Amino acid sequence: MTSGASAEQTVGSGPGRVLVALYGVFALAASARAAVQIATKFAEAPLAYLLSAFAAVVYIVLTVALARGARRTALVACAIELAGVLIVGTLSLADAQAFPHATVWSGYGSGYGFVPLVLPVIGLVWLLRPRRS
Amino acid sequence: MIGAFSGWLIGATLLLALVAVITAIRDRPMGVVLLAGLAVLEVALLVQAGLALADLGQVREKATFIGYLAATVVLPPAAVWWGRAERTRWGPGVIAVAAFTVAVMTGRLLQLWDATA
Repeated sequence: MTSGASAEQTVGSGPGRVLVALYGVFALAASARAAVQIATKFAEAPLAYLLSAFAAVVYIVLTVALARGARRTALVACAIELAGVLIVGTLSLADAQAFPHATVWSGYGSGYGFVPLVLPVIGLVWLLRPRRS
Repeated sequence: MIGAFSGWLIGATLLLALVAVITAIRDRPMGVVLLAGLAVLEVALLVQAGLALADLGQVREKATFIGYLAATVVLPPAAVWWGRAERTRWGPGVIAVAAFTVAVMTGRLLQLWDATA
């Protein structure tokens, strides 16, 4: 990308830097949680724990994409994250039996102060805001 | 791990997060005060990790507990590294996020500790 240098400046700096920090924390928390769940009690709820791992991957991709200014990758990952938290959140409330074990996205992220629900919205607003050249 | 020590640690960490937020609101970059605060916090977190590991036998969820311990120790240096490059109000913003996360994680550590004590 020819505009790569300036895009890097705008996506990963300023307010974007705080966003990267938040996503970094969630990448760390989600992957650690998924690793522990899969390593110690995978058989109890394979679906929930695979979802945890998937969420962790999405957060890691987002952290790296935002930090490096990869706008398109970050946008796609943000959309997947928003879809994930809405779908899993709804399913976990509608069919609690299918999700007996918590994931980051259960109950729209209520176990994490609803930050998983708010974060992708802020991310999309930040990525889609009008750019001045 | 001594409960009182970690309790004070949570209070001090939240205070540091507050100072960082105030710095960000006043539109100042990260200064000596925040840097010194993070350095003191890191030393306190290392002490906490040492105390906790010395008495690890009574914790049931060892893997989770050690994970939180490691994360609390790693976060302040990561915040300095990521916040230092940003010489605007958003540098302290990063530190506020990190400090608040450390406070929450220390709270979770206390919960895991008390569950078995």
